[in-house]
Amino acid sequence: MIRSFLRWLRGYVKIRVEGYSPERFLNLCCFHHILIWELSPAGNAYEMYMSLSGFRKIRPFARKTRTRAVIIEKCGFPFFVKHYRRRKLLFAGIFFCIILLKAYSLFIWDIHFEGNEKWTDETLIEFLASNDITPFMLKSRVDCSGIVKDIRKEYNDIVWVSASVDGSRLKIQIKENEDTFTEETAEDDTPVDLIAGSNGVITGIVTRAGVPQVHVGDEVKAGDLLVSGRIDVLDDSGEVTGYQYQHSDADIYADTEMEYNDSMPLTYQEKIYDGKKRYRFYVNISGWELSAGTVKNRYPHADLTAWERQIKLGENFYLPLSYGYETAESYSFQKKKYTEEEIRQELTGRFEQFCRNLEEKGIQIRENSVKIHMDAASARASGILYLNQKIAEETDTEILTIERKEELK
Amino acid sequence: MERDHIRERLASAASMPKDVVLGASVITILGRNEVCIENYRGIIEYTDTLIRVQTKSGQVRLTGKRLQIEYYTNDEMKIKGRLVSLEFGEGRKKD
Repeated sequence: MIRSFLRWLRGYVKIRVEGYSPERFLNLCCFHHILIWELSPAGNAYEMYMSLSGFRKIRPFARKTRTRAVIIEKCGFPFFVKHYRRRKLLFAGIFFCIILLKAYSLFIWDIHFEGNEKWTDETLIEFLASNDITPFMLKSRVDCSGIVKDIRKEYNDIVWVSASVDGSRLKIQIKENEDTFTEETAEDDTPVDLIAGSNGVITGIVTRAGVPQVHVGDEVKAGDLLVSGRIDVLDDSGEVTGYQYQHSDADIYADTEMEYNDSMPLTYQEKIYDGKKRYRFYVNISGWELSAGTVKNRYPHADLTAWERQIKLGENFYLPLSYGYETAESYSFQKKKYTEEEIRQELTGRFEQFCRNLEEKGIQIRENSVKIHMDAASARASGILYLNQKIAEETDTEILTIERKEELK
Repeated sequence: MERDHIRERLASAASMPKDVVLGASVITILGRNEVCIENYRGIIEYTDTLIRVQTKSGQVRLTGKRLQIEYYTNDEMKIKGRLVSLEFGEGRKKD
């Protein structure tokens, strides 16, 4: 492949050698290291391919052996150039193409991220754009170590960054901190109490900081103090001389109750599509829109949907060119009634989803008394859920914590 | 003849490659369709059914069908085509 390309580049000819002793001519060529290929006999003569430089040397051999060499075919780049030498625009085009290729390769065309899971490409691109690092910037202006420093400064949980220019693509490799455990243990020194977020009976206490104020088996009401962040400092006579404050931290489990209510109507409106549709296709070039068709209509009810795609080069160099279409689809309503089975399925499904959500939050469901009731107008699922959950934490997240600061005397 | 004989014995005694010392030609036949000849002096005759090649020790006569010389350099040539026979003729006898 490469050899044949090199031959083409240097140029070669197919010649026909005839005369007194063409074999001798061949041997002479061979002796003078002139490469011959695809030699084939043609009657009294021979046809062969020979490189252009070789052909220039064979005149004395031809005279010596009294043969005649005639060119049958010319191939290769030098002949190509000669043939098209009058077509100035062609050469100008080739030259222009090379110049453009060089000019375009001076720019970054694409930013590629690797290894990011938590921080999306879009977020990182936005951040880089705020630091003037965007596609279509000069390659020479890219400061890889600067990018690395900026990213490390901005994102604490990115533990390793590498930026490199790979052709006309900026490649950023990222390693995120996967164990966010260290993140959670960041100390918060503000004094905090823990109070009950809901009514319940305490079933377990694990205190890590603070003074617990309740015991297992105690019944608490929402708002009751569970763990105090204030520690009394007593003197020898047992009098309080001061307080120490700390950030209370405890897991307090309690049996709680929750009311569940869900209802749905017995009838519903169903959309019936009557097959009438209207389309509008369009191409948008930086604000200029070219469209065909219309979605204007006199349908009483219609769904309007749109689909659009912006054209991009590489992964994230968006061009100001987008295309898409809009559809208007006509429909009418029809009143329909659920069957009892459907109602049961729907309400049970909703209830199960609700329970799953609770369990995802770490709440145990001990028991439930939820039942489905149906009457003429609607169907209801209601009852009480008996739960076991962390009640202290819930108040903490709901910002019901009380901060107490008292002056030391 | 005597000199060649001495050379050959010398070469086999010193276990040297004979194609280098004696200038013996190396003919490699690959299947029925490909022949490669090294260490030859020149082509004497070439048609698409017969190729005669001069080597140091004599002529090599190749017959076949659609014979074509794929390439042809100073020390090696490759022939393609349906090979029928290969014969060694007598070399030029100077003495």
